Amino acid sequence: MMEKTQISWIQLFLLLSGFHIGSTVLLSPSAGAGRDAWLAMILGGAGGTLLMWSYAVLSMLNPSKTLVEILRDRLGKIAGTILSFLYVWYFIHLASLVFRDFGEFLCTTTYLETPMVVVIGLFAVVLLYTVNSGIEVLGRLSELLVPVIPVAISIISFSLFTINDFTAVLPILENGLMPVLKGAFGAITFPYGETVAFLMLFPHLNRKDKLKKTVVISAVLSTLLGLLVFFRDLFVIGGDLIGRSTFIPHLTSLLIPEFNVEPLLDINLLIGGGIKISVCVYAAAKALCQITGVQDYRGFTRAVLTFAVVLAIWAYDSVLELFAWTQKVYGFYVIPFQVLIPLLLLLLSLIRKGKPQGEVPDKEGNNNAEAVNA
Amino acid sequence: MTAGWRKKAKGMVLLAFLLACLLLLSGCWNYKELTDINVVVGVGLDRTEEGKVLLTVQVAEPGSIQSTSGHGSGGEGPTKPVFVVSHEGETIFGAIREMLATVDKKLFFSTVQVLILSERLARESLEESLDFFQRDHEVDYLMNVLVAKDVSPAEILAMESDMDTIPAVYISETVENTSYRGTGKKTMLIDVIKDMDCKGKQPVIGQITKAGENMVRTEGLAVFKEGKLVGWLDPYETRGYQFAMNDIGSAIVNIPAEEGKMSMEVFRSKAKIGVEFEDGEPACLMVKVRLEANVGGHEGKGKLDAPEKISALEEILEETIRKEIAMALEKAQDEYSSDIFGFGMEVHKYHPQYWKKAQDEWDRIFSRLPADIQVDAKIRRTGIIINPVIKEH
Repeated sequence: MMEKTQISWIQLFLLLSGFHIGSTVLLSPSAGAGRDAWLAMILGGAGGTLLMWSYAVLSMLNPSKTLVEILRDRLGKIAGTILSFLYVWYFIHLASLVFRDFGEFLCTTTYLETPMVVVIGLFAVVLLYTVNSGIEVLGRLSELLVPVIPVAISIISFSLFTINDFTAVLPILENGLMPVLKGAFGAITFPYGETVAFLMLFPHLNRKDKLKKTVVISAVLSTLLGLLVFFRDLFVIGGDLIGRSTFIPHLTSLLIPEFNVEPLLDINLLIGGGIKISVCVYAAAKALCQITGVQDYRGFTRAVLTFAVVLAIWAYDSVLELFAWTQKVYGFYVIPFQVLIPLLLLLLSLIRKGKPQGEVPDKEGNNNAEAVNA
Repeated sequence: MTAGWRKKAKGMVLLAFLLACLLLLSGCWNYKELTDINVVVGVGLDRTEEGKVLLTVQVAEPGSIQSTSGHGSGGEGPTKPVFVVSHEGETIFGAIREMLATVDKKLFFSTVQVLILSERLARESLEESLDFFQRDHEVDYLMNVLVAKDVSPAEILAMESDMDTIPAVYISETVENTSYRGTGKKTMLIDVIKDMDCKGKQPVIGQITKAGENMVRTEGLAVFKEGKLVGWLDPYETRGYQFAMNDIGSAIVNIPAEEGKMSMEVFRSKAKIGVEFEDGEPACLMVKVRLEANVGGHEGKGKLDAPEKISALEEILEETIRKEIAMALEKAQDEYSSDIFGFGMEVHKYHPQYWKKAQDEWDRIFSRLPADIQVDAKIRRTGIIINPVIKEH
């Protein structure tokens, strides 16, 4: 059975972190707050960590159950199945968004004459192989690749250490609190809330007791890394230019004298984006296979990936449309998926925990008690 | 047996497929050999009377550079190391592409060393002209930008240099050495972009003039206001500006001495600028410079071996540099009314409330503020000898 495949907490930690950094290495969800974005990132980080923690709690209240199973358990077969289908859509859409960000970046900076479908398509072929290799391979791959990301970020940051203006954060809160709150909200939905896809993966963790710790540590460390990147960019290119660039970290990397580190950024993107898409595709395929009762999720991966690639290319006409949509619509579009439904499930799970009825207690029943206490 | 054979065949097919992939995936989509592109080393931007863009490029010929700098002459016959082409167009990018009607290979811009703007273009449209150079992925944000005074960019790019086979490299090297003299400024594209974005600081760009048949001079600065050239700073004002902007690597400052002159080698200089506020209004512009110097030459008489002598010299040195800074500041205030020092940025950072209401008229406010320039010089050493030749008994 598939459920036997397991990943260690360190692998889950790396997967979560890679997932988190995947797109933020390119796009800053808090960028609207200008030079105050770091405040938004801290606020959003706090909220996002809480949200991710609640996903972990939800998973621990329903041990060994994936999101689809939890939905069906709590909301009944029909409503649960409908919502599961919506989640499948959301995971595919999320994968397609990452594909598109990735494609837009490469087609803007490096592969100007290469058709985006080639860039994305080749990437998708590799990812198909990865996802079909199974969740354990994905976990081991993250051990190999995710540590490269902070190393690459450090190399870029240290190369730029001499060109900076540490007073660039001033003045603080020039335009009031509103942009910061907006930025913080944006940060919660992207990327913290997107880890809702991991509800399909959490059951694979071999040590359930470490789930919450893993999730929280990953969220906090990823936030710190994001802050490091933001401060570096702000100190190097200043608060005014930051608002005008398409991909902020890329512009920063262009300013390193004598040598070209752009590929380091591409590497980060490939690793982070690859993990993010793999997780989304796995989550979607796994959800589909549980909905339909098929044994192996691999039957769906090809279809899901193809759909994601097509959607990525077809959904937006231009990079501006993509950005406008991500900034204006995405935050509201994802609220049900990231906040409302998970919290509803959490509530229902807690209520059920309060007055246990019917079902046979699970093997990890003792862990559940801990979860409630915590 | 058959199963084993089939497995083998499958493996072979897979291997062949993977090898084919290696071939296909190794290169870029639009991979080009060095011989298939024109390596642009210098770009000149000018504006014609009719408001069209006049683009000049200096293209290096890698093959001929090798043969001229290598031992002996290449048997191929002398080809010029660079060629220069100009083209008129509606827009910059348009002109670059239209130029291909007369130029053989596609122009490659990542290698550009210098971007030279004409005075007319700088007076009309700096911001508009630099948009392409910010947007294009091939452009190096660290290229040097210069404004040509009394000469067209095309003329400068067409010059041949005795010092380097590629004139653009020669020009960019004279820009690099400004850190030893302070009378010019190395302005990179990114510096100009940052300044253009910033409301509290007006851009300045290094100046280039013709200094003879095949030499250029990179001294002085072009002063901008709201994206338009408004005037120039001479070499001494430029050095004052550079002192105030904390951008001096080293510089030789001449000061009067007993019966002659002395040259002081400033080898370390730190500066800070700020705006003092009184009752919520800016009251005074502050420039603080601390520098260290050595006696580099004493072309006169007079002993140096007493500490009092040195402190007297320190005062003269301070006064000399203070004057240079004051000259630059006065010119920026009175003549150009353009805050090239970035005092507005300081106000923005430390007095955001005031900045909010004053930012649109900042240049005017800046122009009538008094300035407090403090220079603190330390003369550390006198070199290998202490006193000049003095024959007295």
